[in-house]
Amino acid sequence: MKTLTILAGVMLVFVFVWERVDVVRLGYQIERSKSQKILLERERDQLQVKFSSLAAPERIAKVATEKLGLIPPQQGQVMMVHQSMDAPGLSSPPVEQVRLARHVVTGRINE
Amino acid sequence: MTVGPSRGRRYVMLFLFFCGFSIILFRLVTLQVLQAVELTAKANRQHEKTVSFEGARGMVSDRHGKVLAMNVEVPSVFGVPTSLENPSAVARHLSPVLRIRSSELEKKLRQNKSFVWLARKVEPEQGRRLEQLSLGGIGVVMEGQRFYPNGPLLAHVLGFSGMDGQGLEGLERRYDTQLHGEKRVTVLQRDALGRTIFPKGGKEQVPTQGQALTLTVDEVIQYIAEKELDETVVRTHARSGTIIVMEPQSGAILAMAVSPRFDPNSVSALTPDRWRNRALTDTYEPGSTMKAVVAAAALEEKVMTPGSMIFGENGKMTIASTTIHDHEKLGWMTFSEMIQKSSNIGAAKTGMALGDQRLYRYLQAFGFGQRTEIDLPGEVNGLLKAPKSWGRRTLASISMGQEIGVTPLQMVSAIATLANGGVMMKPYVVSEVRDQKGLLLMEVLPHAKRRVVLEETAKTVTTMLERVVTHGTGTKAAIPGFRVAGKTGTAQKIDPRTGGYSSTLFVGSFVGYVPAESPRLAMIVVIDEPQGEAWGGTVAAPVFRRVGEQVLNYLGVSREDTVKIALATRDY
Repeated sequence: MKTLTILAGVMLVFVFVWERVDVVRLGYQIERSKSQKILLERERDQLQVKFSSLAAPERIAKVATEKLGLIPPQQGQVMMVHQSMDAPGLSSPPVEQVRLARHVVTGRINE
Repeated sequence: MTVGPSRGRRYVMLFLFFCGFSIILFRLVTLQVLQAVELTAKANRQHEKTVSFEGARGMVSDRHGKVLAMNVEVPSVFGVPTSLENPSAVARHLSPVLRIRSSELEKKLRQNKSFVWLARKVEPEQGRRLEQLSLGGIGVVMEGQRFYPNGPLLAHVLGFSGMDGQGLEGLERRYDTQLHGEKRVTVLQRDALGRTIFPKGGKEQVPTQGQALTLTVDEVIQYIAEKELDETVVRTHARSGTIIVMEPQSGAILAMAVSPRFDPNSVSALTPDRWRNRALTDTYEPGSTMKAVVAAAALEEKVMTPGSMIFGENGKMTIASTTIHDHEKLGWMTFSEMIQKSSNIGAAKTGMALGDQRLYRYLQAFGFGQRTEIDLPGEVNGLLKAPKSWGRRTLASISMGQEIGVTPLQMVSAIATLANGGVMMKPYVVSEVRDQKGLLLMEVLPHAKRRVVLEETAKTVTTMLERVVTHGTGTKAAIPGFRVAGKTGTAQKIDPRTGGYSSTLFVGSFVGYVPAESPRLAMIVVIDEPQGEAWGGTVAAPVFRRVGEQVLNYLGVSREDTVKIALATRDY
C-alpha cells in the first residue's frame, strides 16, 4: 500500500513535469507558426503590390499601345447586342449585353 | 571506556552551524523580503518582453475591388548609441547601405540616448543588407508603410498618410478614424536565449486592423479622365485642369481628376499647392455654364418658355454704366436660341426678369454658396453674396456667370440635378466600410437632398442644352451615336495686378450629361488658364467628348443606332 502511494506520488510529479515541458514545447511551436504567418502575410502583401502595379490601367494601356500595337476601337467598331427578354427559350435573366468587335479595319500591328 | 567529544567542542560545532544558518537565513530574508520587489522586477525584465503590435491601416479599393491604397511592411533602422563603442566605425559601415552621409549618421550615434532612428521605411533590400552586416547596437524593425500601387492615379482624392500612419490629406484624412489600425501591447515570456515561448497569462492581445473602404470611383474611368485631362493641360500649357464624372441618379463620383498630378508615394518634396484637390477647394467664375441654371429657374418660374423672344441688342447693352457684350451681334432670338448661342445679353435679361430674390433662391437650391457635403476634406462654400449686398450690375453679372464663385463639384452637382429630372443628389466617394474580416459596417446609400425643379422643366432644359451641342457653341462635345446635353463656359479671370478682368487669363469649361434621354454620366471639364484659344467650346468640349466616348464604351452603353437582336437559346 505504502509502495503504491509512493509510486502514485512519483507518477503525479512526472505528469506535472511532462505537462510543463509540453506547454513550453507548444509555445515554441506556436511562435514558429506565428513567425511563418507573418512571413507569409508579408509575401502576400508583396504579391498584392506586384499584382496591383501590373494591373494598373496606365501600364496596361502602355503595353497595349506600345508593345501590342493596339488602338482604342473607333466609331462603328463596337456593337452592343441586346438580348431580348422575350426571346424564346430564355429561362434565366441573361447577361445585360455583350460587346462585339465588328472588324478591325484600322490599326498598327507590330511584327 | 570511550570518551566522546568534549562538551566544549560540541558547543563550538553548534555555534558554527548556528552562524552558518544565520548567514543563510539573513541572505534569504534579504533576497526574498528586503530586495523582493527589485529582484522580481529584474527577473521579469529578463524573461518577459513587452511588445506592441499595430494593426495595419485599412485598404482602399475602387468600386470593383481594385486596390488603390494598401499597407506593406518595410524595414526601419534604429541605433542604440549608449551601447556603441566606436560610433565612427559603425557610421562608416552604415553609410553606403543607407545612402546617408557618414558624418550625419555619426552625429546621431554620438547622442547620449538609448534609442535613435537612423532611417525609417527604407527599401527591403537595404534591410536585408543591414541584417547581414549584423552590427552591434544597430537594429532593424518592420513598420507599416502606405503604398499606392497606381502612383498618381486618384491621388488628389486618396490623399496620403504620414510617417506614423496618420491620415494627412484626402480620404486618408477624412476617414482616418476608420482606416487606422489599433495598437495592442502584449507581454511575452521568453527563455534564456531570448526566444519567445508564449504570452504572459496565455492571452495575446491581437491588434485590430483598420477598416477597408470601397469607393464609388471606377479605376478605369479615372484613368481615362486623368489621361485626357493631362494631355489637354500639357498641350494648351494650362495652369491646371479638373474633370469630375458623376452618376446623376445617385450622386456617386465615378472619377475626379486634377492636373497636374502628384505621386502620393513620395510627397516629401511637394508643396500643398500640388496636392490640393482643386475640384472642391478652388472656386472660379463659371461664365456661361451658369446660363443652364438661370434657364432652369426662368422656365420653372414660367418667366420664359423655350419660344419666348428676346432681343439681343445687336451684341451690346449698357447696365449700370458698364457695357455687356456678346461674341456676335444678335437680334431677336428665342429663349432656346439664347442658350444655344450663349448670349450674355439674353442671360442678363432673363435674370432681370426673374429678379434678385428669385434668382438667389434658385442659386441656393442648386447648391451654390454652400458645401455639397461630399465626404472629402477641404471643400469650400464658394462665393454667393446675398441680394442685399448686390450692386446694380450683380443680377445681370450672376446670370452670365460672373460675380459668383463656384467649385467644379458644385457646378457638376447642379447640372447632374437637371440630368436627374430636377432632384439634387448628395455627391459621395465612399460607398462601403468593411472590417478586417470583410463584414459590412457601413453602406452609403444615395441621398436625395431636394427637388429643385420639376421633371418637366429639367426635360425642357435638356432639350435646350442638346441644341447647344448640335447647333451651338458646344458642337465639339458631340459624341457620335449619343445625344449630349451641355453648356460651354468661358470666363475671364481677375487680373491680380489690376483687380479687373484680365484680357488674357481665362477659364474654359464644359458641363453636361450623356445620353441626354437617359443620362448615365454627368461631367464637368474645367481648364484653367489655357494658352491660345481659351473658349470652353474649343478647349474643354473636345475633352468632354473624348472622355465621354471612352467611358460610355467602357460601361457598355448602347449607341442610338444599336441593333437589338433576340438571341435564341436551346436546351442541351
